[in-house]
Amino acid sequence: MFTFGMLDGVLFHLGPIPVDHIVVTQWAIIALIGIVAFMATRNMQMVPRGLQNAFEALIVWTYDFFTQLMDKEHIAKKYAPLLSTFFLFIIVSNYSGLIPGAGQIPGYQPPTANWNTTLALALITAFTVQVAGFAEHGLHYLGHFVSPSPLMLPLNLLEEIAHPLSLFLRLFGNIFGEEMILAFMLFLAPFFVPSLLMGLSVLLAAIQAVVFTILSANYIATATGEGH
Amino acid sequence: MGIAIGAGIAVSIAGLGGGVGMGIAGGKAFEAIARQPEIGGDVRTLLFITFAFIETLTIYGLLIAFMLVGKI
Repeated sequence: MFTFGMLDGVLFHLGPIPVDHIVVTQWAIIALIGIVAFMATRNMQMVPRGLQNAFEALIVWTYDFFTQLMDKEHIAKKYAPLLSTFFLFIIVSNYSGLIPGAGQIPGYQPPTANWNTTLALALITAFTVQVAGFAEHGLHYLGHFVSPSPLMLPLNLLEEIAHPLSLFLRLFGNIFGEEMILAFMLFLAPFFVPSLLMGLSVLLAAIQAVVFTILSANYIATATGEGH
Repeated sequence: MGIAIGAGIAVSIAGLGGGVGMGIAGGKAFEAIARQPEIGGDVRTLLFITFAFIETLTIYGLLIAFMLVGKI
């Protein structure tokens, strides 16, 4: 029922790259977010209402939130689009597991329940953190690896690997574990009981999206901060 | 048989540690908010981040348990 990350459901090949069902589900999610964003900005007005109002409120809220979290306003403005995209993509991916049929229809499951997707997201964060550090401090950023003393170099390098690794395993483990427990519940008690757990998973999916975004923002803030 | 017991022990010990840690962190956070309600927002954000860190360790146990169950 669940794949642990094997490419078992390859639908077709794009050149040498196999395209499986997870990728197609992600395309659907990207298309959904894109269409909603297009609908919101198609007919922009000075005094917003409806969908445009909701999106403007979201953008102002995220900018304020990241400015408060990261201390430096230009850094927050620079990386807020990336972090907001993480948030929107992860929350829509997580909620796609609540659509009836997810996990039951072969090949359809939330993309974040597969470790390939979350590993890709964590690698983007890891890459962005290093780029942000060099962009802000130039070559002085390298000094942060040997602070407070060169003896700490291996530990500092290990930390740079451990951060994305924990991001990747946290998101994957949460969504995969939740889907798995839901499947066991459906097997044990097919009526009414799983709905309680699904109510909890609505909350959990949102919290995981927020946590991934906050931690990414934190890592970028650490790399660009003045602490070293 | 041994693998099944191992999976059960992995998830239960991971859950035990995470539960104790979350209880202590949550209790202290509520104490802080009760003493100074105006810093509630900051404490809540920090609490969620702390919970995420603690929960990761529990999730490691859960993943190991799933891997072991897959081997039966």
